Amino acid sequence: MLAYAARRLLVSLALVWVVATLVFMVIHIIPGDPAELLLAQGGVAPDPWLVTDLREKLGLDQPLMTQYWTYLGGLAQGNFGYSLLDDHSVADEIALRLPRTLELVGAAALIALLFGLPLGVLAALRAGEALDRLLSSLAALALSVPVFVVGTLIILVLAQNLRLVPAGGYIAFATDPLRHLGLLLMPAITIAVGLGAVVLRVTRGSVLEVLERDHVRAAQARGVSVAAIIRRHVVRNALTPVVTVVALHLGALLGGTVLVEFVFNWPGVSGYLVRSVESRDYPEVMGIVLVISSIFVLLNFLVDLLYAVIDPRVRHG
Amino acid sequence: MTISATRRAVLAGAASLPFLRIPGARAATPGVLTFGLSSYPPTLQPWANGGTASATIKLMIFRGLISYAPDGSLRPELAESWTLENPTTWLFKLRNATFQNGEKVTSADVKWSLEQIAAERSTAFFRAQIQGLERIETPDDMTVRIVTKEPVATLPIWMASYHMPIISRNSPRGQFIGAGPFVLKAQERGVSLDLEAYPGYYKPGLPKLKGIKVVAYGDENLRVAALHSGDVDLIEYVPWQSMDAITANSALKLDAVDGAFMFLVFNGTRPPFNDARVRKAVAHAIKREDLVKAAFFGRGSPLTQLPIPPSSPFYNAEYKDGWNYNPDLSKRLLAEAGFANGLNASMLSTAQYGMHKDTAEVVQQHLAAVGINVELNMPDWATRVAIGNRGQYDIAVMGTAADSNDPEGLASLLDGTLSPSYVRSYGLKVDRITELLAAGRAEFDETRRKAIYREIEGVAIEQAPLVGLTWRSQGYAMRSAVSGFKNMPGALTFYSGLTFETTEVA
Repeated sequence: MLAYAARRLLVSLALVWVVATLVFMVIHIIPGDPAELLLAQGGVAPDPWLVTDLREKLGLDQPLMTQYWTYLGGLAQGNFGYSLLDDHSVADEIALRLPRTLELVGAAALIALLFGLPLGVLAALRAGEALDRLLSSLAALALSVPVFVVGTLIILVLAQNLRLVPAGGYIAFATDPLRHLGLLLMPAITIAVGLGAVVLRVTRGSVLEVLERDHVRAAQARGVSVAAIIRRHVVRNALTPVVTVVALHLGALLGGTVLVEFVFNWPGVSGYLVRSVESRDYPEVMGIVLVISSIFVLLNFLVDLLYAVIDPRVRHG
Repeated sequence: MTISATRRAVLAGAASLPFLRIPGARAATPGVLTFGLSSYPPTLQPWANGGTASATIKLMIFRGLISYAPDGSLRPELAESWTLENPTTWLFKLRNATFQNGEKVTSADVKWSLEQIAAERSTAFFRAQIQGLERIETPDDMTVRIVTKEPVATLPIWMASYHMPIISRNSPRGQFIGAGPFVLKAQERGVSLDLEAYPGYYKPGLPKLKGIKVVAYGDENLRVAALHSGDVDLIEYVPWQSMDAITANSALKLDAVDGAFMFLVFNGTRPPFNDARVRKAVAHAIKREDLVKAAFFGRGSPLTQLPIPPSSPFYNAEYKDGWNYNPDLSKRLLAEAGFANGLNASMLSTAQYGMHKDTAEVVQQHLAAVGINVELNMPDWATRVAIGNRGQYDIAVMGTAADSNDPEGLASLLDGTLSPSYVRSYGLKVDRITELLAAGRAEFDETRRKAIYREIEGVAIEQAPLVGLTWRSQGYAMRSAVSGFKNMPGALTFYSGLTFETTEVA
């Protein structure tokens, strides 16, 4: 088991290195010069020697390989570097913003499960009936509407017309817990709409499948109450695929909340990534992508280990 | 029975909704204005050009020797007066003012600030200009004498720029202590900035606000929603499509001016656009009204001459229709230049900003109608800037505001002898324009200056080193309770931050 874990760990580290290298290559290959952009704010023409000076100052005049080794060397010491824009530490910024995105994604998952699970079970129990068809149509609709449409509609209705919540923004939980949660609500709901639909559909399918199993029939034959059957025998068994699907989506959401963060002014890590790409802030882009992909790799590593624990055949395979 | 009970519960719940309002992002402190900015300022370095968001914040914190009055005229600021001693010597008399650390503003601070701008490795916007000064003298604490190598009529305009603030020479390293009306108290990177009134500001009774909370709203629709919902008191960069709704709302008011403009630049190093006739053909092929409608929802106006606003003393009414819509003339000019059967070219724009993209698409249609077939290249902004700086295009769509309302503010767009840049045509030199721009810079007599810039415009209409497309409306919107804030005229719209000192919120 230990040898297996070590092997997987090595593979994971290699993966992180590959990602770091790929990101470094890609960001340097795409056109656009951070020094030029930095000096050309607001449509003005910077002097070329000003650009040259700045490139020198930022170390961008070094050969690419030199920059690459400097970068890898920094990474090995846990140093993500500093923003080209204002010398701000990239690690600090990620440490500040990643929890906000995690919180947003977590809140969205909670809302999605809260609604998706019971409605999915309900749809399965009423399979083929009008209620099932209605819920399935709603889920299909929720899945096909893009998040920025949902987001904009929610802002229009909740913030602008009903004035129930502020139109967006962020306040630290420590500063004002109530306002923090109020501001979290709209973006979380926006992500939860699509995610909840996925949960509903997966739950429905899974429950339908479990309902056909022998142990459920046996329980029915024993005269166990319907509520108890659903709770104890159906839902519990039907949850496995739901958890898998939700976990997969959450991973994707880590870097995929860009639009929601933008629409609601939520200062998370996704919006930060987009801004960094736009200004070609190399250290920022590389740092964020590396952290997000490392989380992915780590999750995969854990899943691999978990499989090995569950199924010993994997260890020797 | 159960159904009616449920319905009652739902109705009761719905009725209680308005009382459940979650308090907004806005901390309603009396006398504090909440301002929705379009993006978080990338830098607050006083002398660097960090874009318009940075400039707006800089105008809260810093002041220079000179600034602009709300009507757009130059006004004394830290300098109470300035006079021309001889054609290469300007004398500035300082007034009694203090920096935000309580120290007096002296001529030594002015000299120090100018030296920082000119320093080795400085990223200051005016580095080249200040390096070109002969010397800076400080005869006494309150007098600064600036000697230039050549006569510079526009020196007061440089000094009025928001990239030219005077900073205390005793500022701690990495910090910049200014003499403006507001002190930066706190900032959360990417989210918000908190500013507090500076009680020692040299203008009695100002600033009127106790403070300003600046919140960055990158999404234009959210910025408008935040104003409608009362989260913010004032927003900048009002999207054109929202202007009607704001005007219609009695609780809000809109202050919009034609400030920035859209134009075309060319690659002058290769055919077909190294030929002035072809460039002129482009200028006459475009129906600007369509552009104003499509790209700016009617919020703007056609620009068929050089972008000098009609309110400027340098405006030349005789060139009003210099580049009027005349497709027949376009075709004739193309035929004269040897392109009777039309031509193919590439047009650079960006899909990142709607106004650049929409403008490019409308221009493409109009050019096709006279036989100029352009293929659009619309990468993201960063790539577009890089391609533009390297001249890898035939025509490009550009949008900006002039540096000032003085026509010298257009020099960076018209002078082809300057270094290659995406803001002006690539390698397109019109010698007469370069000569005249230099003459205008050295001329102190207003009448003669006007004549020089009139001639520049005449040459520009014929040679088309750039082609004007549209003025675009630049708007601020605010709650009716806000007063004293003014959108400054023309190119000075991005100087409107100066009026925060007189802004009040009821």
